[in-house]
Amino acid sequence: MKPELMTGNRAAASAARLARVDYVPAYPITPQTEIIETIAYWVREGTMDSKFVQLESEHSMMTAAGAASLAGARVFTATSSQGLLYAMEMLYNVSGWRAPMVLANVSRALAAPIVLEPDHNDVLAARDSGFLQFHSETCQEVADLVLLAYRVAEDRRVMLPAIVNLDGFYLSFTREKVVLPEQAEVDVFLPPYDPPHPIRATSPVAKGSAVMEGHLYSYFRYNMHAAALRAKEVFNEAARDYQGHFGRAYGPVDGYRLEDADYVLTMSNSFTTLGRQAVNRMREQGVKAGLLKLRMVRPFPSEEVAALLRGRKAAAVFDQNLSPGMGGVFYPEVAASLYHLKDRPETLLPVVGGLGGKQLTADEMCKVFETMRAVGKGAAKPDPMFLMRADELARAKKALATAGVQG
Amino acid sequence: MFLRVRFHGRGGQGAKTASRILGNAAFGDGYNAQDFPVYGAERRGAPVTAFTRFSDSEITERGFIFSPDVVAVMDDSLVADQSANPFAGLRKGGLAIVNTTRPAAEVNGGRDDVTVLTLDLTRQALDVLGKAVLSASIAAAVARSAGISAEAFVDGLVDELKEVGLSDDLISKNVTMAEAVYDELKPVKLRTEELPAKAELVPFTVVVSGGGSEDIVNTGNSASRRTGNWRITRPVIDYLKCTDCMICYAYCPESAMSVRADGRVAIDYDNCKGCMICQTECPPRAIGSSTEDGR
Repeated sequence: MKPELMTGNRAAASAARLARVDYVPAYPITPQTEIIETIAYWVREGTMDSKFVQLESEHSMMTAAGAASLAGARVFTATSSQGLLYAMEMLYNVSGWRAPMVLANVSRALAAPIVLEPDHNDVLAARDSGFLQFHSETCQEVADLVLLAYRVAEDRRVMLPAIVNLDGFYLSFTREKVVLPEQAEVDVFLPPYDPPHPIRATSPVAKGSAVMEGHLYSYFRYNMHAAALRAKEVFNEAARDYQGHFGRAYGPVDGYRLEDADYVLTMSNSFTTLGRQAVNRMREQGVKAGLLKLRMVRPFPSEEVAALLRGRKAAAVFDQNLSPGMGGVFYPEVAASLYHLKDRPETLLPVVGGLGGKQLTADEMCKVFETMRAVGKGAAKPDPMFLMRADELARAKKALATAGVQG
Repeated sequence: MFLRVRFHGRGGQGAKTASRILGNAAFGDGYNAQDFPVYGAERRGAPVTAFTRFSDSEITERGFIFSPDVVAVMDDSLVADQSANPFAGLRKGGLAIVNTTRPAAEVNGGRDDVTVLTLDLTRQALDVLGKAVLSASIAAAVARSAGISAEAFVDGLVDELKEVGLSDDLISKNVTMAEAVYDELKPVKLRTEELPAKAELVPFTVVVSGGGSEDIVNTGNSASRRTGNWRITRPVIDYLKCTDCMICYAYCPESAMSVRADGRVAIDYDNCKGCMICQTECPPRAIGSSTEDGR
């Protein structure tokens, strides 16, 4: 297909249509709404052959999605932020049912206080749910990852649902060049879903049975973990096939200017584009900077992270999320991936930024590189960086003064 | 070439649509393009910012444009608006296109190192469309200044207006309006230079020095956020017809109706957003309206 300008939301909807999904249960929330509006419009005008239903909440939406997936339908849905949290109880059920549906999460920071712009506390709240997670940097990646997610989720070695994450505003409402795959090629890459034990009137089957005993529960949970781990190899297989069909290559992680890099910034999602800018600026100044992007978040690509960070002078982990009382969520996951290596980077700098869509400049990311370099060999554990510019703090203090509280 | 354009408008004027028309036009002319709007809760009259980047190489940027080459200011009341701050970061040698009837020197944001182009797009939009929607004309001004071809511009304009769902008649009026702007202008050779960055970071200990809640102790402070300049239509009380029934006072969602010492109601024009609910609700039809700038 010829390149076109489209938003990340439209790319997600387009991929769902290309995947020939049977059923789309939905509930609107900013900034996800455009996805389900687009699908609803296509279904009404007859250019998308799916059943579209607006439920009365995200909890019902997720229940309907899981149930339809168990019945044998290919299911797509989308939500954001509080919506994902409202559906949370059902996320754990749907993954436990091993229902391989795909959910697009349009990241938006969680209340309170309320805000519309993104960070990743919403999608990372679902980190332990058993959903596979793939995170996007560009609108093109959104479309490609939705198609890949179906291939991986529905593979009999996996059979787990998947979340494809895209940042609100920075992808959801940003239009950029996207090349959609041809339908005929997608049909070859992603044949119709072949469900195990589908619900049919002629062959009754009970789903979601209670177990009531820990040993049986453990049996199923360990199996879920094993399936999630297998998803990485299945993803790699599917990605090779995808590249053969459509030319674009995807791995669990993405390295940028890593070949001789001494200082590596690890990050995910749309702000990675700004991280790349910072790498280029540091390179212009003669600093051997590089970037490691996390594309696959569950399963966590520990081996790839270890392979690409070992032997470096220093690394930083940029978390656009915050677990109060601990710090960023990705930091300990990267640290755990490196712990057993003798040649792990001596410095692993924790960085938190971009919360609630707080603007980020390439300058700030350059400061992260400068801090990594300043920590130096044999230094004490680095202090975490919580990015806030002086002009932003001044604005915050002005707002607090208006509110009549001390800042 | 890599051009970064930042549009500043008010909800309803078409800033987001303008950014997409320009994105379409640049993309149609063979550039890589990217566009992106920022708005909070969507409110007519509230400041809106939108961005278009286009380049003959890959675009390796994303999000807010801090250092634009071009700013397009669709409402001159935004020039002095602290929250919109349209001239912030405009590159030295950059271009500001301002919709205004005032002279350039009054709307240049205090910058003498940029080119300011003034156009009266509101007048034209009222004449051609009957309302002050400027997406097509401001996009035309930027596209022409940036040297985008007329064919790519009109195609991009029509595609976007179709997507928005406008009637063929309104699309054709928008094209007429935009072509008039396009034909009146010439491409501008821009040699821009980024202003020095000011990304001074503050340590976490400074950030967390004070309170921790979102409590507002100074309640009732919304009047200090002057929203009167969001207004496009101005309600006017005819005191000869007004019966002091206080219906307008009760209905005003902004508490912009007050009671004077003589017991008559009065409108706080510093804060009235011009929603005109008072006019709709007034039993004796004592509230009339005028356009904000007397047009």
